[in-house]
Amino acid sequence: MDRWALVSGLQGDLDLYEQIQKELKQQRGVANLFVLGDLIGSQHNCNALLERLRQPHRADVQPECIYGWWEEQLLAECGYRGERKADGLREEQGEAAVGDLLAAVDADHLNWLASLQFGFIELDCALIHGSSADVSDRLTEDTSALVLLDRLTRLDVNRLFTARCQRQFRLELFSGSIQSHVKDHAGEHQSEQAIPKRSVIGIGGGRQYTLYDPATDHIEFRIAEDPSHASGRGFG
Amino acid sequence: MNHAVISCLHANLAAVEAVLNDIDSQGIKTITCLGDLVGYGPQPNEVVELMRQREIPTCQGCWDEDIIDGLNACECSYPSQLAERRGHRAHHWTAAQLTEENKAFLAELPMTLRRDKLLFVHGSPNSQHEYLLPDMNAYSALERVETAGAETLFCGHTHQPYVRELRQGSIRVKVQQRDQDIPTEHELELPMRRIVNAGSVGEPRHGSSKATYVIHDDSTGEVTIREVDYDVVKTCEAIVDAGLPVVFAWRLSHGFEYAERAEDASHVCER
Ligand SMILES: [Zn+2]
Ligand SMILES: [Zn+2]
Repeated sequence: MDRWALVSGLQGDLDLYEQIQKELKQQRGVANLFVLGDLIGSQHNCNALLERLRQPHRADVQPECIYGWWEEQLLAECGYRGERKADGLREEQGEAAVGDLLAAVDADHLNWLASLQFGFIELDCALIHGSSADVSDRLTEDTSALVLLDRLTRLDVNRLFTARCQRQFRLELFSGSIQSHVKDHAGEHQSEQAIPKRSVIGIGGGRQYTLYDPATDHIEFRIAEDPSHASGRGFG
Repeated sequence: MNHAVISCLHANLAAVEAVLNDIDSQGIKTITCLGDLVGYGPQPNEVVELMRQREIPTCQGCWDEDIIDGLNACECSYPSQLAERRGHRAHHWTAAQLTEENKAFLAELPMTLRRDKLLFVHGSPNSQHEYLLPDMNAYSALERVETAGAETLFCGHTHQPYVRELRQGSIRVKVQQRDQDIPTEHELELPMRRIVNAGSVGEPRHGSSKATYVIHDDSTGEVTIREVDYDVVKTCEAIVDAGLPVVFAWRLSHGFEYAERAEDASHVCER
């Protein structure tokens, strides 16, 4: 079975994307590239990357994109989310960052960004930017296992791949149980529930990306080489 | 100290009065209401005004929210599309009946109320529209209580009263980080937590037409599910007189919603 590459947090960096594409071609059997959001950001002009993602080169591993926290901020600011605005970005980085973000993405990409899905379900895996609860949900290896289990249960999947925290880890919930005692008008009953084996995988962000083999469940955390010619691509 | 928790009054004045009498007759002074003052029933203004007059702390229910914000709630709140259409009729009728003052009161209701380690919500701490059913995944149920920082969570919205205790929970975890050869393991021991569903005063669906609510003794933790007789026929007649869907009267007199569940089980969320 073909391996998956999981990437996030490119934030408009086409050089980095080309570097990752180059590395994927050197790997054997990587046929699916999932870009788990944050295609855009406020630091780079994002248009060249967006054009490349929308119209991939023939030799590219074909990308499939979902939206992330940065897309959510931009779409909210541009009126795609009802009354909400880019509140998260404003709070975290101030008004100037909102202006930078608006300047970094041409308006003719907005409809395409708005058409991106919240996540993919592939086999028994959910691929999501944050979590099933929210695109801004930051799951890490330190998040309570109770919360992680809830996020898995909401989607009824065995594995949840998340990108929002920009960390690379694999956390496995592998045993445990809980007693439930219910009393209602009909009487009382007791039951026990066991933990099914489930995992949450942080795929990293930016130069960090992850390869996954669904046939063997093998995960490989990778770091892309620094694209040496990365500078000079900003606002000109 | 004993305190009473009521929910889902649903504009059924006779039921609300009977339950308040039952509470008063036991000398219970503290009452908390988990919302859904209106919807389905024929006396929305009377019920809201009674709660205002008695100054009963109340959180906002799904109906209270929708009457203010319009029907922006997830349609999945309804078990079927037919139920949804009837619900919409009741919504428009209620919205037209309610005075501006009573609407303003519903709009101001808080999402949650908290007293020490007791948390009061309508549906769940996440949303007025989430159903915490007694057979919900036990870990997810515990997560709702624990994430909200409560020991006992009082909720309504399902119209079926129950007390659920989640105990002796544990999760074993293995973590592999990028630069680590050997994964680390640890075990999370989970605290005991409780969910108390207060049922419904004005629209019971637990298989009996009696109004339900709960009494909680906050020193012993004991919970009593109370069932109260009231003049069901009076409310049913008022439903029919008001021109509300007759099925609401039927449901009220039977105390369950089997008929609606059977109609269209395949209804899926449109949002
Ligand atoms: Zn209700
Ligand atoms: Zn409700």
